[in-house]
Parts: sequence; C-alpha cells; structure tokens
Amino acid sequence: MARFIRWQGLATFIGLSILVSVFFYLFAESLAKKALISAAESAFGAEVNIEEVKLAYSPLQISVIDFQVTDKDMPSQNLFSFDRATAGVDVWQYLFGKIIIEDLEVSQLAFSNVRTQAGEVYLDSKAEDSQEDSLSEQAKAMLPEVDMKLPDVNTLLTDSNLLTVKATQELQGSYKTEQGKLKSLKAELPDKTKLKFYQDKVKALGKMKVNSLADIEKIKTEFEIIKGEFKADQALVKKAKQQVQQSKELLAQQLSKLKSAPSKDWQEIEKKYQLESIDTEDFAHILFGEQARGYIQKGQWAYEKIKPFMANMSQENVAEDKNSHAKGRFIYFKEETPLPSILIKKALFSVQLDQGDITVKGSELTHQHWIKGQESLLNISSITNGELIIESRFKLSQAGDFNATGHWIVTERALSNTNLTQSKALTLSLKEANLSGKGNFNLVNRDIVATNNLSLTQASYQGQANTKLTALLLDTIKSLDHLTVDAGVTGEISKPSLHISSSLNDALTGAFKQQVAGKLNDFKQKVNKGLNEKLANGLKLGDNQAAELLDLEALLTDTDKALADLKNSDIVKQQQTKLEDKIKNKAKDKAKDKLKKKLGDLFN
Amino acid sequence: MLTLLAKLLHALNSDSSIRQIALAIALGFIVGLSPILTLHNIVIIFFVLLIRVHLGSFILAVGFFSGVSYLLSPVIVQVGESILTRPELRELFTSLYQFSLFKLAHWHHTYILGALILGTLLCAPIYFISKIIIEKYRVHIMSFFEKFRIVQALKASKFYRLYTSFAGESSLTKGGL
Repeated sequence: MARFIRWQGLATFIGLSILVSVFFYLFAESLAKKALISAAESAFGAEVNIEEVKLAYSPLQISVIDFQVTDKDMPSQNLFSFDRATAGVDVWQYLFGKIIIEDLEVSQLAFSNVRTQAGEVYLDSKAEDSQEDSLSEQAKAMLPEVDMKLPDVNTLLTDSNLLTVKATQELQGSYKTEQGKLKSLKAELPDKTKLKFYQDKVKALGKMKVNSLADIEKIKTEFEIIKGEFKADQALVKKAKQQVQQSKELLAQQLSKLKSAPSKDWQEIEKKYQLESIDTEDFAHILFGEQARGYIQKGQWAYEKIKPFMANMSQENVAEDKNSHAKGRFIYFKEETPLPSILIKKALFSVQLDQGDITVKGSELTHQHWIKGQESLLNISSITNGELIIESRFKLSQAGDFNATGHWIVTERALSNTNLTQSKALTLSLKEANLSGKGNFNLVNRDIVATNNLSLTQASYQGQANTKLTALLLDTIKSLDHLTVDAGVTGEISKPSLHISSSLNDALTGAFKQQVAGKLNDFKQKVNKGLNEKLANGLKLGDNQAAELLDLEALLTDTDKALADLKNSDIVKQQQTKLEDKIKNKAKDKAKDKLKKKLGDLFN
Repeated sequence: MLTLLAKLLHALNSDSSIRQIALAIALGFIVGLSPILTLHNIVIIFFVLLIRVHLGSFILAVGFFSGVSYLLSPVIVQVGESILTRPELRELFTSLYQFSLFKLAHWHHTYILGALILGTLLCAPIYFISKIIIEKYRVHIMSFFEKFRIVQALKASKFYRLYTSFAGESSLTKGGL
C-alpha cells in the first residue's frame, strides 16, 4: 500500500487548502474591488472609483462603499455615485453558478454630482450625442415655421401673378385688338354719303325717260352695275357682323373669367400664406413637446442601456460564437424549485435628485421571468415634494419578447423655474406651478403606447417674444392660471410619434385665435376690396366695349337693310311698266283716231 | 521554474518510474484543460498528492496544458455544448441536475464539462504516449544529446548545479517531491 500511497500528501493537501482559503480570506476584498472597477470601467468607458469593498461570510454579503462613475461627457462630474451598496448573496446558489441576491440596498444614489478630481475618460461619446441634439433642435425649429407674417396688402395687390390683374390685362389687350379689327372693317363699310349716292342714283334711274326697249335695257344695265356694288358692300357688312359676334363672345368669356378671378385670388393667398392651416395644437407641441421629448429620450436611453443585457441573456440558449477564447455558458435543466441565473429578490435604492429624494423599490428583478413565472416589479416613490408614484411590471419571455406595463401618479408637486422653450422667436419658462397628473404606458418589444395627463395649477410664466404672433401666444399663456396637457406617445421606441393636446388649445381658440382671426379678417377685407376695385375697372372697360359693339351692330344692321332695300329695288320693272303703259296709250290713241276717222266719214 | 524544470529533467534521467511521470502528465492534462478551481480538479489534485505521482511533472503538465486549453477553448466549449444540449441526453442531465454535487462541480457549464470529457478521453492516450516518449528518451535521446559540446557547456552552468543538487537527493525524489 505504501508503495502507491504517500500519506504526507494528505497533509500537503490540507495545508494547501488552508493556504488557498487564507489567501482568499485575506485578499478577497481587494480582488473583488479590482474586478468591480475593471468591469465598471469597461461598461461605462470612464474612470470608476471605489473606496472599499467589504465581505461578510455568514451570510455572504458584499458591500461596496463610495462608488463613483465618471461622466465621460463631463469628466469633472459623476455619471452616478452612491455611498453604499449592500448585497446579500445566496452562497450555495452562487456555487451552483447562479447569482441570487436576497437583498440589494443602494443608499444615496446621486446623478451628475461634482467630483473632487476630474476622472479619466476611455471612450468617446460624441456620436451618441448627435441624435439627442437633433431632436431637441427639431422642436425649437418649429416656431419660425408657424410664425405667421401677413404680407403687405398694397404689395400683394400689385402682384402681377394675381388672376384679377391678369384677367383685367387680358381684357384690355383683347379690347384693343378687337377694336383695331373693327375699326379697319368700319373704314371699308359704306358710309351715309355713299348710301345717299346709291339712293340718288337709283332714284335717277327711276326718273329716266323711257321711250323704247333700248332705254329699258340701258336702265337695267346701269342698275346691275350698282347692284354689284351693293353686293360687295353687303359682303363687307356680313364680315363685320361676324367679327362683331366673335369680339362679343371673346370679351364675354374674358369678362366671366375676370368676375371669378378675385375669389380664386383669395384662395391662392390663403394657401400661399397658410392662413387656414394655423392650428393651436402646433403651439402645444412647441411649448411642451421639448419637455416630452426629453422624457422620451431618457426612456430611450434607459431602454438602449438595458437592451443589450436583455438580448444577451435571453440568448443564453443559443450556441456561442466561435472565437479565439470561448468562455462557455451554463445550461440549466428543470428542477423542482427553479431559479433564474440572476435574480434580485428585493432591491431598495434611495436616490438623490435635484427635484427631491426618490425611493426605488424592486422585487423579483431578473431577465428570465419564465423560470419562476413571476414579473419584475418596480416601484418609484417620492414624498419630498408633493407625491410621486410610478409602478411598473415587466417580463421577458423565453422567446425574447419584452413586455412592460405601468402607471404613474403625481400630486401637488411644486415646480419652479422650469424652462419650456427657448428659441429666437420665443423664450418661455415656468416660474412656478403645482403639477398633478397621471398616466400609463405599455411597451411590447419595441412598440410603446403611453398616455399622460398633466395639470398645472397656480402657474405663472415668464418669457420673451420677438414676433407679433409669439407675443400673442405669450400673453395668452401668461393669462392662464390652470393648464392641462395630454401627451400620447405611440410607435417604435427609437422614433415614437408624440401627440400633444392641451387646454391651451381652447384658450388660444378663445383668445389668441380670435385675435388672429380679427387680423385675418381685416386683411381679407382689404385684399378683397382691392381685388374688387380691379374687377370693377375691368368690368367698366367691358361695359364701354359692349356699348360700342352694340352701336356698331346697329349701324351694320341699318346699312345692311338699306343696301338690301336698294338691291331689291324694282326700278327696271317700274320703267318697263311705264313703257308698256306708254305704248298701250299710244296704241289706244291711234285706234281712237282711226275710229274717229271712220265714224267721221260715216257721219260726214 | 528552473527548479521545477530541473526536477522534471532529473526525473526523466533518473530511475523515477516511467509510469509515475506519464500518469502525472496525463492527470496534469485533465487539470490543465479546465479552470483550476473546479471540483473535479480539486479531487484530482487530492489524488495526485495522495498517490505516488511525480509532482514536478504534474505541475509542469498543468502549466503547459493550461496554455493549450486557451487555444483549444472553442473546441472545448463546442464539445460541452453539443453534449449538454443533445436532446437524447437531456433526461440524463435533468436527473443529474437534481444532485447538488453535479451543480457544485459545474458540469452543467459547457466549458467545464467539455474540458472534463476531452481530458478524460485523451488522458489515456496521453499516458501511453508519454510513457513511450520517456522510455525512448532514456534509451536513445539522453545519450545522443550528451555527445554535444553545448550539453557539455550546459553542465558547467548554474542550472546544472541545481540539477545535480536534486540528483543528490535522488532517494527523496524517487517517485516523490
């Protein structure tokens, strides 16, 4: 037996075990401190300081004292710090590969407090900031967009693009053109002298002595010559009539266009200067949107920080990527009383904020809710300034679906010197007010639906406005003692849409909108008056032109009738009748003489 | 380190049992593959101390194979992963998981189980290969190398003095510390 076994080896083993235990007992705290600093520095990208780490072994409890994380954006400040954090760890489960913390207590947790010495920064965060700025600037940039500036009425009315101006100019142009055409036609038409000449000539033909058929033939020939002239003149009259008709139609069309132009012009002006699209909801967005976006960004920040841990942990069942040094993972199997790999059964944080002290209580905090079938609970409360209660439940399914619901209530929380908006056009801050409100939220994976109702009472505001419109807005909001704001957030968490409505809308409808409407009405009247004057001028021009056309039309009708009368004159027939009568009379006289002669012979 | 190396060389050159050295290397292989403070490693170390295994060789083997395990870690994890996630073995592991000892040994960790399985499977071939190499070394290689001038020169060095001091304690080191 002694050939194979060396009993002094047993003593060596016991000695070694004691040595290792003593080593860990003596150096465990420094090793834990070093490990914590290294892990936190790698997570936060800046210097981390820990005053002391204490370990108690029965039960196992780790205490971290004076923990400070440098803010990598402002190294003279801490991102957060706490005076003491104590965690009671279940040793047995720890040896099984699980971190089960019975009680976690963090006291005096503070954000953005000044460091005694600037900390070192290991990671640059410029890229992360750009999105935050852009969202905030986006809200501010809305003000100049809706800042209404009404145009000068006179400048507007001389605008050559106005339809009324264009229609009047067109009418004037057409009138000139048509007038020119008619003038040239009028010059060609037979005047009164010519008609008199025709009448005299026809009369002369009628008075001519007719003794023979040759005379009749001569009259006929001369009349035919004059008739030819009548026809030519009638053709000219006909052409002039057609031209008059065309001119009448064209001018009537243009007059109708001119009559409808002013209303079209007003529609265009409304559209161009967005006189109809001014919505009071825009102002609620401007005033409270920035604050709301600030809270949304904080929520996004927290979500983005937690997300990678959740993602990594929910993928524990997925095979690890092959890399140079794989570390492996625990595979958990069913057991009678299953426990998640990381679980904080109870947590208590006392947080110091500028707005007052806050207590955060948590229970069953884990990332493997399906194992115990319990949701994590978070309760945030504060009674230092009014009362604040936020309650939230969240769970992650084995498939990786994240679901969180919660509600919040604030009662009688005093606010002071809260900046609402700051831009070139308007600077507005809440001097003091009492805030009450409630809301709820539901986050399913990356989709959020949240409704929030806030009520500000005994509010007083201060600010500066640099445009007429923002001055009106500022006056209106200053006159409000009570204000409610309803903010809804929906959509994908990285780019949610924000809907804000406020009692400010009603107040603005009552006061501000009335004043804007008055200003608009005045403007509308002036513009319409100017447009109508232009229309009246155009119409006057049209009336003159119509009268001229009617005169010309009458003249043409008279001329045409006179020519037709002359053309249809039966002068030749009359002369023929005359000649026939003459011949008949002659024959009668001749017969009479002959009879007389015969009768004379008889009686003689 | 020099002392350990001297002890190993002395063990190789002395009358120390070839099996004791080969067993030390094989057990050092199992221990070296997994993290040092695991339950099965503590048990192996206990047995290494208790039975007559050449300790110098064991310590050097642990050091050497710890380095090798760093390079082999993806393979080790893959082995553990494939065994622990195999559906047909799920029932077996579920019943084993009910024992605290199984969880205490961290055999439900892919790296540790992979290292233990690989170590256990390969320790036998490593034992026999080591045995053959030591035998060959003693018969051929040692006498071959002693002919070289550089070996003559080394014999005059501090290292050799250290080595000879252990050689003087041959009765103590024979199969022991």
